[in-house]
Amino acid sequence: METRTFDNVASLAYFAPELGLIAAVLLLVVWDLASPARLKIAGLVVISLAALAWSGGMGAYFLAKDAGPHELFHGLLAFDRFSNLFRVIFAFVTGAIVLFSVPPRGPGVAPELRRDQGEFFTLILVLSLGMNLMAASRHLLLIYLSLELVSVMSFVLAGFKINDARSSEGALKYVIFGGVASGIMLYGMSWIFGITASMHLGECAARIAALTAQQGKVPEVVFVGTACMLAGFGYKISAAPFHMWTPDVYEGAPTPVTAFLSVGPKAAGFAVLVRFFSDALGAGSASPAVATPWPVLAGCLAMATMTIGNLSALGQENVKRMLAYSSIAHAGYMLLGFSVFSDAGVAAIAFYIVTYCFMNLGAFMVVMAVAEQSGGDETLSAFRGLGRRAPLVAAAMVVFLVSLTGLPPTAGFVGKFYLFSALLTAGGAWRWVLAIVGVVNSVISLFYYARVLRAMYLEKGERTEPVAVRPLLGATTCALAVPTLLLGVYWGPVYDFVASSLSMLR
Amino acid sequence: MEEIGLIHYLSVAAALFGLGLFTVMTRKNAVGILLGVELILNAAALNFVAFEHFVAGGVSGQVFTVFIIVLAASEAAIALAIVLQVYRNHRSIMADQLTSLKN
Amino acid sequence: MLMAYASVAAFFLVAIGFLLGSLLFGRLLRPNNMYAGKVETYECGEAPVGPAWFNFNPRFYIIALVYIIFDVEIAFIYPVAAVFKRWVDQGSGLFALIEIFLFVAILMLGFVYVWAKGDLDWIRAIKGDPRGAQDVSSRSRAPAGQAAVADGGAES
Repeated sequence: METRTFDNVASLAYFAPELGLIAAVLLLVVWDLASPARLKIAGLVVISLAALAWSGGMGAYFLAKDAGPHELFHGLLAFDRFSNLFRVIFAFVTGAIVLFSVPPRGPGVAPELRRDQGEFFTLILVLSLGMNLMAASRHLLLIYLSLELVSVMSFVLAGFKINDARSSEGALKYVIFGGVASGIMLYGMSWIFGITASMHLGECAARIAALTAQQGKVPEVVFVGTACMLAGFGYKISAAPFHMWTPDVYEGAPTPVTAFLSVGPKAAGFAVLVRFFSDALGAGSASPAVATPWPVLAGCLAMATMTIGNLSALGQENVKRMLAYSSIAHAGYMLLGFSVFSDAGVAAIAFYIVTYCFMNLGAFMVVMAVAEQSGGDETLSAFRGLGRRAPLVAAAMVVFLVSLTGLPPTAGFVGKFYLFSALLTAGGAWRWVLAIVGVVNSVISLFYYARVLRAMYLEKGERTEPVAVRPLLGATTCALAVPTLLLGVYWGPVYDFVASSLSMLR
Repeated sequence: MEEIGLIHYLSVAAALFGLGLFTVMTRKNAVGILLGVELILNAAALNFVAFEHFVAGGVSGQVFTVFIIVLAASEAAIALAIVLQVYRNHRSIMADQLTSLKN
Repeated sequence: MLMAYASVAAFFLVAIGFLLGSLLFGRLLRPNNMYAGKVETYECGEAPVGPAWFNFNPRFYIIALVYIIFDVEIAFIYPVAAVFKRWVDQGSGLFALIEIFLFVAILMLGFVYVWAKGDLDWIRAIKGDPRGAQDVSSRSRAPAGQAAVADGGAES
């Protein structure tokens, strides 16, 4: 099908998922103000889930119908299989987070857990909207706007525990870091705009390609501009050296928010990074005559990110903080795919994102379930003896941790397998070095994941009574463990589906 | 006789960017750091307008700048609200005194 | 090249000259009669008490924050007003009108939210909301007389 560019009115039909989310956000605000207290939280959850089902369902429908690729709003947004795939992923992740953050009920529950829920669900939904836009934006303005939308909502959510010193401290660090990173990104964008005289990624690509052919190398301005923009993207995916905020924010934020930040915005960051590189810089289809600096840059970032993440995770006592460092390391693994930037590399990144969603969300969910029962204790000691106190949840945690390490038979193994195979198929001594660093890092990560396993099964805690996990949490956790295992033994169709969904507007 | 051209605007913007980055790195007060962030954003906005005027010749740079201004304001509002929160919980907004989160 | 700055330089010179000239003129004209009351801070006839550096009531900030967001959002309406005539000529005036009214309606929803949540109330109900109670719990380290002024009567 030919690519068409739609004007503002004609675009609306293809923008329906986001329109649904916007309507739901407005409805949530009204509901928060006008609903009876008894029905408030149930209504909030129902509205959020309905909007997400609409958004994800429409994405799936567009995928099934193989609609597109088109350009929406005079080229501001792309409508292609890539953006639709991410619509589905984000709707799934946000839906899991909504279920995850339904506050507990009953007489013994502290009232502050049930306060400000209207704001909470509204912010979560706006975040989801921003992530959809990030994956679809094809224009420097939209990249900036959607990134800021996601960032600003994340700042508020990170500081959501209003009387908690750690939460507000994390939020302040996040806001400062995010502001600086987006400022630097903006400055880089202005240089890209200056040399290409266009903000549309497709036009930028044509201009950069012409300049590159003319000068025989990538112009320095493009390099500097891209490096500046990497600050913004790198902060979003928490890649070194822009990762410093991650552990503090993740530890301070409420656990559902931490789970969300570690999966949703990170996946969106990768989506926008993939689109920017393949679209504006033409990294996928670069003419072989001109050596581009991007693979080496991405490889260095990947090595630094995973090494720093894994080494810092080693000594952590707080499981939430440990998972924060581990999520930095996983950003490093995914960046490995960028150092190839073949279609196989991008497919491996996207598939890894899918598997990472399941395992990381699940791991955070177990942390939340445990902390809820131990009075907010998130350290290793709360996990002692969990194998006997809550066998099902502990078993799910084993699946998630094994998968995060990247051992068979779990989804994490398959994801890493595709990443490394994309790396080695591309060949070259440099990529062998990258692959070896990646494998060594996976071995390091085994140490700290195994500490949790040991605490759960081999150590005895002070408490031995069974842990009463809320049914909603337990069910969602198990529902996440099943695909984590299933994708480890039978991944073919899913991988093919993801790989075929990457045809992008260029 | 040479007119005031693109290079002058870019120099001012680069100076603003550098000063902003310097402010961010040297200030300890959270509000001071946020002032540095504003400088960086304004450097980018100036660049956009200058490039639009001298290179592209449309209005998209100006539009981008309006968005930068609005987003900078909303980000500052959020940031100051968080600063209030931090002050309430910590009795300080000095970045080097906020150390309840540490390895 | 340098000539391009000549007008700027002239502007600077005139500005500085005017400043220095008026200061000099005043010094020549006025009687020289200095006493302590003359160098004190002017506070509308009130006797100044305590230092000028003290913490204000956070309600000032919250209202300022709300104000600034609504203030800058208006910046989006100006460009629409600028091109609206052209849009009408093109026959899509109604579309632009609906669009801008949707924008204002969403802003209004935000305003209603802020209003309903009581963030615009100067004297905030303290009962039942621990945050409200903290808001007005005396933040001010200034002497008592000044604290009452700073809190805008919130505690009275």
